Amino acid sequence: MAGIYVHIPFCKSKCSYCDFTSFPDKLCFAESYMACVYREMAMRREELKNYLFDTIYIGGGTPSVIDENYIAMLVVAAKKNFKIAENAEITIEMNPGTVSAAKMSVYEKCGINRFSVGLQTAEDSQLKELGRIHNLKDFLQCAKLLKGKNFSVDVMIGLKGQTAENIEKTIETAAYAGAKHISMYALTPEDGTPIYTDYLNGELPDSDTVAEMYECGVKKLKVLGFERYEVSNFAKRGFESKHNLNYWRRGEYIGFGVSASSCINNVRFTNTFDLDEYFKCILSGRLAVIDSEKIDDDGQKDEFIMLALRTSKGLNVEEYNRLFNENFIKKYSAVLQKMRQYIEVFENFVRIKQEYLFVQNSVIIEFLEYKDAV
Amino acid sequence: MNNKNNIRNFCIIAHIDHGKSTLADRLMERTGQVSERDMEAQLLDSMDIERERGITIKLTPVRMFYKAKDGAEYEFNLIDTPGHVDFTYEVSRSLAACEGAILIVDASQGVEAQTLANVYLALENNLEILPVINKIDLPSARPDEAKKEIEDVIGLDASFAPLVSAKEGIGIDEVLEAVANYFPAPGGDENAPLKALIFDSYYDNYKGVILFVRIKDGAVKAGDKIKTFRSDKIYEVVETGVFSPNLSPKSSLSAGEVGYIAASIKSIQDVAVGDTVINAENPADEPLPGYKTVQSVVFCGIYPLDGSKFNDLKDAILKLQLNDASLIFEPDSSVALGFGFRCGFLGLLHMEIIQERIEREFGLEIITTAPSVSYKVIKTDGEEIFVDNPSHLPNVSEIEHMEEPIVKADIYSPPDYLGQIMDLCREKRGVFLQMTYLDKSRVRLEYNLPLNEIIFDFFDSIKSRTRGYASFDYELIGYERSKLVKLDIMLNGEVCDALSMIVHEDSAYTRGRTLCENLKEAIPRQLFEVPVQAAIGGKIIARETVKAVRKDVLAKCYGGDITRKKKLLEKQKEGKKRMRSIGSVEVPSEVFMQILKTNKD
Repeated sequence: MAGIYVHIPFCKSKCSYCDFTSFPDKLCFAESYMACVYREMAMRREELKNYLFDTIYIGGGTPSVIDENYIAMLVVAAKKNFKIAENAEITIEMNPGTVSAAKMSVYEKCGINRFSVGLQTAEDSQLKELGRIHNLKDFLQCAKLLKGKNFSVDVMIGLKGQTAENIEKTIETAAYAGAKHISMYALTPEDGTPIYTDYLNGELPDSDTVAEMYECGVKKLKVLGFERYEVSNFAKRGFESKHNLNYWRRGEYIGFGVSASSCINNVRFTNTFDLDEYFKCILSGRLAVIDSEKIDDDGQKDEFIMLALRTSKGLNVEEYNRLFNENFIKKYSAVLQKMRQYIEVFENFVRIKQEYLFVQNSVIIEFLEYKDAV
Repeated sequence: MNNKNNIRNFCIIAHIDHGKSTLADRLMERTGQVSERDMEAQLLDSMDIERERGITIKLTPVRMFYKAKDGAEYEFNLIDTPGHVDFTYEVSRSLAACEGAILIVDASQGVEAQTLANVYLALENNLEILPVINKIDLPSARPDEAKKEIEDVIGLDASFAPLVSAKEGIGIDEVLEAVANYFPAPGGDENAPLKALIFDSYYDNYKGVILFVRIKDGAVKAGDKIKTFRSDKIYEVVETGVFSPNLSPKSSLSAGEVGYIAASIKSIQDVAVGDTVINAENPADEPLPGYKTVQSVVFCGIYPLDGSKFNDLKDAILKLQLNDASLIFEPDSSVALGFGFRCGFLGLLHMEIIQERIEREFGLEIITTAPSVSYKVIKTDGEEIFVDNPSHLPNVSEIEHMEEPIVKADIYSPPDYLGQIMDLCREKRGVFLQMTYLDKSRVRLEYNLPLNEIIFDFFDSIKSRTRGYASFDYELIGYERSKLVKLDIMLNGEVCDALSMIVHEDSAYTRGRTLCENLKEAIPRQLFEVPVQAAIGGKIIARETVKAVRKDVLAKCYGGDITRKKKLLEKQKEGKKRMRSIGSVEVPSEVFMQILKTNKD
């Protein structure tokens, strides 16, 4: 398993919670930017010639704001430069306010088969507060275009004034529109975003309230047939995101575009966050990597554990033993014993019990700490 | 120069901030001991803590040469003294090494409480006292009033007192001249058997223990066999010398001189400060007077933050003890904190300084428990024991009654703050003794107070309630029967021994409640709910709950988030290293120290 990520750093306007690399005022650079991304792919071609990629994920920003033909060309460029599996999962993120039938048809024709829609909430007042460019009506229109297709909806928990009822309504809206997958995120107020000020002023629901509302959401999703397969991700059976599962299995992935991250051959690296710098590098024939870190044995184990335990299925003990040539159960027997209230072993998987997925850092720390102690 | 008639041994007595170190620096500069260029501000206060707090903790002697107006050359030995009430014994040791004392009085502030205490100490040691009026350059200076106050309050003739500004270098020559003329030459017999007073010591990595001595009788030189009066160990003197202010070797020291002795002394227990050095082959038959075993007043547990650093902590405390005869300790262990030491101190400032020095000078992170005093416990079988560690308190059924140490406190304050001071003393279970108007701007209040009420924050409270105007001094006067109970703190049902304390029955409830409330805030939420309870003899008197953590996860963890998440966990893991497990509850080490601050007004 290996994945390709492409970052499209453009959007119509910046949302109040967003700390991703995205430039609302630079849409005019889209053409040059995409040309650079194609070029960056070509630069990686030789290095990755033995990889078979199962997934492509086009994220942002808002990839759907740029001309759909650039997106089509992007998929073509990926297929030209790399081996892409026949049945590859190809996802694009989109904003409900930026989609049209024509766009959809271009996306589908080039091979995109999964859509991720940023609804966030079904309450127009909250959408406005977030600085989203769409409203509920836009989403419902977009949903019509997506009817019957494999699409996912993002839902956000912890908004100003949000109630459990709001969340249930949002989930129902997404489910009735036909979503096969729902990502439900607790809002993380990042320093430097406008919403951080609300957070500092205590205007956002506190962490306990968020946890409570989240639980309500989880229950609702379950009733509607969505299974939780990761901390924040829920899907109808068979519709889990392969691209994201690859991250949690510690699979390899290559990222293209400004700020994109990669992990190839146990080296994690990131492209520059600076658009001009990115242009400069690619146009002069250099990669735009700024940070690169070789992950040693210990680091690999830490990552494997912390990522696997995010998933409902948990950590594959056989895989761990094979990868690291040691016996997981034996090595961590003391932790498994100490944490037995929070952890279960099921069919050769070690997993955090559903009800504790939200407090998993405390559990994972025990593993990391124990590893240091022995 | 071995003519002891031209030696002057003296110290300087001053209230904190009245300019003692500055004057000392000035004297050294004027006698050419240090060039102005090489001067680091306030040379004598060589420890960082001393400079930062503007106080003197460690004695630092220095030798100077002065050519007087009559043409004679004098050797001056200035022995610096600590300025805080906690260090009365250190002061007494240095006073015993002198014949004279310069009394600095701030021209604008007059005589202060602490100054008085030390003046009386100096008078007890039969020292000549030379009053010096400092800070005459200040616009608020009232030198004549200051002189009058010296005459009224202390009863010294201040008419000839030099008027000085140490800061500006005014009047320094007059001080030097007065030292030469006014202070007596040291007595003593050079030909008698050796008697040298140890007034301080420190440990040198190469030379072993360096003894700071004042030779009272006889002489000492390299090769001599010496011992101290209270120990049988015999040492061969390797080096003798004087302070300039760094150690500078001198072939011998004889009666009247102040200097140091290095004799490859490795065992610190054998060279108690205040003891008398004698010649092992020609021993004097009587020690010098004034030696006393120091008495600890405040106690607390000191534990290494990192349990594996126990031996490092032990080394650190041993080394500190070498310079500080008043620091006592014994190994101790706590269920919550592991292995550490129970230490005794002269007072709260002393305790703080030791804690700070361990952390700074030895780079060790430590946990300290709440300070305690030594209680007298009379058991039902008639046995009397002293307990300073709450976890060593016998079972309630074995206790007939308990007594607590009482101090007599002298509080000096302008009359405006009398009300506030009296309120505070009442809150602290004080018993009013008397009130004396010293003059129209100063009142002296005398109270008997339980020591355990003043070890927490009395000093800070009195300063804040009087805007810093009041000063405070105390002495232990004995023990009084009192209703004392042991207050235990239970986390998730388990007693945390490191948080136990002995308190007066009347304040137990309030103290217990405050403790629980503070702990609730300080203990991070765990995976499960943690009850925090205060109990007396098994009876719960207060309870709070630390709620279980509901959410600690990073919402998104995709390709770009992995490194960040790893760092986050890494940070959390580091944080856990600073935690102690009380049963199944993880408690940050800081919590044990926050207990100190629970006694808020």
